[in-house]
Amino acid sequence: MRGRRIRVALGAAVAALVLAACGTTEAPAGAPASPAPAGGAQVTVTDARGKQVTFDGPVTRAVGLEWALVEHLVSLGVMPVGVADVAGYSAWVQAAPLTADVTDVGVRGEPSIETIARLQPDVVFATPDMNEGAIAQIEAFAPVVVMRDADASDAVGQMRRNVELVAQVTGKQAQAAQLLAGFDAAVADGAQRIAAAGLAGRRIAFADGYLDGGRLSIRAFTDGSLIGTVTRELGLVNAWAMKGDESYGTATTDVEGLTTLGDVEFVYWTNKVEGPDPFVDGLAGNAVWQSLPFVQAGNVERLPDGIWMFGGPASMRQYIDAITVALAG
Amino acid sequence: MQDVLLAPRVTSRVTVAVVAALGVAIVLVLSAVHLTQGTSSVSAADLIALLTGAGSDRTAAVLVASRMPRLLAGVVVGAALGAAGAGLQSITRNALAAPDTLAVNAGAHLVIVACAAFGLVVPVEASALLAFAGGLAAAALVFGMSGGGTGPTRLVLAGSAVSLALFALVSVLILLFTEETTGLYAWGSGQLAQIGFGSVARMAPVVLLGIAGLVALGRRLDVLGLGDDTAVVLGVPVRRTRVVVAVLTVLLAAAAVTVAGPVGFVGLCAPAAVRLVAPLVPGLYRHRVLVPMSALAGIGVVLAADVLVRLLLGGQGGVEVPTGVVTTLFGAVVLVAVARRFRDSGPVRQAPAARSGRLRGRRTFLLVTAVTVALTCATAAGSLLFGDAFLLMGDVANWLAGRAGPVTTFVLDARVPRVLAALLAGAALAVAGAVVQSVCRNPLAEPALLGVSGGAGVAAVAVITIAPAVGVWTLSGSAALGALLASALVFGLAARGGLATDRLVLVGVGVSYGSMALITLMIVFTDPWNEAKALTWLSGSTYGRTFPQVIPVAAVLLLAGAAFVRVRDELDLLALDEDTPRVLGIALGRARLALLATAAVLTATAVSAIGLLAFVGLVAPHAARALVGSRHARVLPVAAMLGGLLVCLADVLGRTVIAPAQLPAGTLTALIGTPYFAWLLWRSRMFTG
Repeated sequence: MRGRRIRVALGAAVAALVLAACGTTEAPAGAPASPAPAGGAQVTVTDARGKQVTFDGPVTRAVGLEWALVEHLVSLGVMPVGVADVAGYSAWVQAAPLTADVTDVGVRGEPSIETIARLQPDVVFATPDMNEGAIAQIEAFAPVVVMRDADASDAVGQMRRNVELVAQVTGKQAQAAQLLAGFDAAVADGAQRIAAAGLAGRRIAFADGYLDGGRLSIRAFTDGSLIGTVTRELGLVNAWAMKGDESYGTATTDVEGLTTLGDVEFVYWTNKVEGPDPFVDGLAGNAVWQSLPFVQAGNVERLPDGIWMFGGPASMRQYIDAITVALAG
Repeated sequence: MQDVLLAPRVTSRVTVAVVAALGVAIVLVLSAVHLTQGTSSVSAADLIALLTGAGSDRTAAVLVASRMPRLLAGVVVGAALGAAGAGLQSITRNALAAPDTLAVNAGAHLVIVACAAFGLVVPVEASALLAFAGGLAAAALVFGMSGGGTGPTRLVLAGSAVSLALFALVSVLILLFTEETTGLYAWGSGQLAQIGFGSVARMAPVVLLGIAGLVALGRRLDVLGLGDDTAVVLGVPVRRTRVVVAVLTVLLAAAAVTVAGPVGFVGLCAPAAVRLVAPLVPGLYRHRVLVPMSALAGIGVVLAADVLVRLLLGGQGGVEVPTGVVTTLFGAVVLVAVARRFRDSGPVRQAPAARSGRLRGRRTFLLVTAVTVALTCATAAGSLLFGDAFLLMGDVANWLAGRAGPVTTFVLDARVPRVLAALLAGAALAVAGAVVQSVCRNPLAEPALLGVSGGAGVAAVAVITIAPAVGVWTLSGSAALGALLASALVFGLAARGGLATDRLVLVGVGVSYGSMALITLMIVFTDPWNEAKALTWLSGSTYGRTFPQVIPVAAVLLLAGAAFVRVRDELDLLALDEDTPRVLGIALGRARLALLATAAVLTATAVSAIGLLAFVGLVAPHAARALVGSRHARVLPVAAMLGGLLVCLADVLGRTVIAPAQLPAGTLTALIGTPYFAWLLWRSRMFTG
């Protein structure tokens, strides 16, 4: 009896499914789609995999799967059609805001290939962290340019090359030259203001922190980080002695590790979406923190939220402004 | 006369005292070393100077605000987990019972993570209360599912299931709510470092109270160890004692989670370490001694792990590597060592394999097969249609005919390999699980639990770390090698003096935990910010699968399937008992070896295709047995179908529910599998009483 009922129910379900699911959402393919983009000479770039990617002229519909690459696109005047984690980008990267019509393609680690496919992009910018199978699947419908988004052995150089690569693909070389020149000018100007305030050679320690219950992990931006390099170009000295990771030049320490810094300007960065301020709220009443010379001297500065420390020229200009104001007033 | 009677007792007291003193001495030495380690330059010499009144203010600050809180956190967490483990093992009469395996840690952790995820900032006391509520709820669920905590095997099964599901929920929350890339590790693994005495000071009294409570109940626990009937005869209120002890252990585990997050494995391995010494010191079996000694052993395990990592990696390494990962790794080794000497004494006997032993008719089998085939086909078809783009059957037909429009083509090109990967890997894991369970005659035995999946994962992650561009066959081959090595290790270590299944599972759990920790360590060191990689390998994900990656699973599944069809009757016999197959002339050792090797290769191809996917190998064979009885000719095909169905369903839900973001299939497997598994346990309880 029970068997029969199950069978009847199942049969009905299958029939309903078949009936409901017939038809198509897209007409069958006739002639090969996607005509070549209008005008312009062919562009060929070599990406981080050593792969040559060719475009029939500058492209307009771009998807960015890592925030730094998205920032480059927006800074060059190309609003991407798709971005991984739009909400996160908007909270953390305010130098180059997205317009409301940008499509969210999912999380940065595993963006949705289906959503990207539906956007029918001309190019997808990804990093080597991306799953290889996923890159292969995207390449079936759109060229993928894989870019190393950070390199601790040459952070600013890598940023420049990435901006130029994005510009080459999108035909925005003039804007790229302008963007990079603006960055250079900002560095020079910032260095001058630092020097004028008598702060040249001042040791600074840049960090962010993550508060999780009763523990605080601190991320130190060492010399190899983008922030570390820009800071050095401003005429300041990075106080962190440890070695960072190969890409981002960051290292992890705890509150006790701050005792190795000595007399520095302690500058940190966080975002209100993360909750309480890890240093001011988290370390209130902590004896190690209280004993630190820079805390006793009041040399602790929180930079404004939304400056992306792994970003591009636009974010770095925000950083330069913020740090010169914080230090030199 | 009186002297003769008293003598054994007195010597036993003396030896207990000696052992306790030794334990305290070890912990004191570890604590002293622990205090000298850290990220600042403060060294032993500075600390000694401080003692003699010559130290600097900075040294004092480091000692008071960093080293001492960290040490005390280790002490509180270790003591709490050690004692909780001892209590849980006693009331369940199972050496596998611990805050980890009874879902107490998972429940407590889930509540804390949920608070953080939803932006609720709660003071430590409140968060401890919430953690307690979470742990208690999880434990109550486990006890409820297993039917009042009578059957140890069922209890641990239920606990493992709930634990997996809750940790899956935790990773869902982390995935949905972590804006930044601080990563899985900082959240998921215990970390001793503290920014003050706050949480330690508040939790220490709770822990002391809990331990005192367990000690006070020691006599009753001793009697309970003699068996429920004996305990009733001797006037011990069995049920009430169990409930009270359970509440106390939950309290202890929740306090530990509140202080440092889930520090893995301590609750399992600390009491085991004490039981290792116990045969030499008879008095240790008494709970008034066992509980405090387990607490002491817990402290030792936590501190030793923490000291070791700083010895090996330096102060900064100790910050980067989560303490919980190290205790897990360290505890795994201890557990294996303990398990090797494991004598089937004490409260560890298990019921024979949980076969729902009812023979079922051919009609039932055919009906069940038809229904599962239909369901699997429907799910597979549905998962071709659903995703973040909804398609219709006509699209699929066009795609199959090679004349679909461009978008449909791209979507299905990416979707079909994922669906296939899910179906095949699920089937492979289910078949492997069914075979392993029958060969080991243990309901808990499954490739993931026996360390086979972990071995495959370690090998695969090592290969892609050293040589990222290797082909699919190299990856699958290395994974197979890793799986075979892991099984060889597990069975080699467990084989001493016959293949006792309790010991097998203990060794397997050790190797499995150890390999998970190794995978985490490898990713922490080589690719710390790559959360996607971690998710793929630790949770199981079909993301970015391509056709070539699916071929090894399909090939091995086909070959192994054919082999199992031929030996189906032998499998039935092996599952029965030790003697029947021998009497019937089966070369027991060789048959077991061949079957386990095949299961290992099956598991390895599944792991290299979609990462570590626990639960399928456990739940699918159980479900199959419940549906069609225990004959392998019937169990294997149905289990394969159910495994494929489960993973496929998990995959399509993960791709659809929060699209365009996605959840890994492994996470949803646990979430979908648990309710079913709960029902299964409940049902089997009604049949077998």
